[in-house]
Amino acid sequence: MFRHLWGEIFRKGRRPMLEPGDVAPPFELQDHEGRTVRLADFAGKRVLLWFYPKAATPG
Amino acid sequence: MLGISFDSVAENRAFAEAQGYTFPLLSDPTRSVGLAYKACDSAQEPYAKRFTYVIGRDGRIEQAIDTKDPGGQAAALLRSL
Repeated sequence: MFRHLWGEIFRKGRRPMLEPGDVAPPFELQDHEGRTVRLADFAGKRVLLWFYPKAATPG
Repeated sequence: MLGISFDSVAENRAFAEAQGYTFPLLSDPTRSVGLAYKACDSAQEPYAKRFTYVIGRDGRIEQAIDTKDPGGQAAALLRSL
C-alpha cells in the first residue's frame, strides 16, 4: 500500500493535495481580529485559500 | 482571499499588521482544516505546507497549487486571478 502511495506521489511529481473537482471541506475558524469565518460565508463566490507555514515569514 | 496557518489569533494579528494585509488570516491551531486540505499530515506538524486552493462558486476545488517558493506562489496566484 505504501509503495503504491509513494508511486502515486512521485508519478504526479508533487505532494498529495485535494484535486480539482473535489468538494472543498467546510470550515469555521477565527481570523486575526477574532471574528468567526466560515467557508459557507462565501457561498456562490470564488475563494482563494492560502496556507502559509508561519506568521512573519514572507509569502 | 483567505490566509490560513497554525498560528494563534494574536500571532496572525501581528503578521497582518506588519504586512498591511487587508484579507482575513485564519487560525487553525488544531490543524483540523489543514488536515482536511492535506496541508499537513498530522495534528502535530508545526507548519502548514505552502498550498493554495482556488475554490469555485460551486464549492468545489478549481485549482490546487503547491509551491515552496513564495515568489513562484505569488506568480501562480496572479495567473489564477
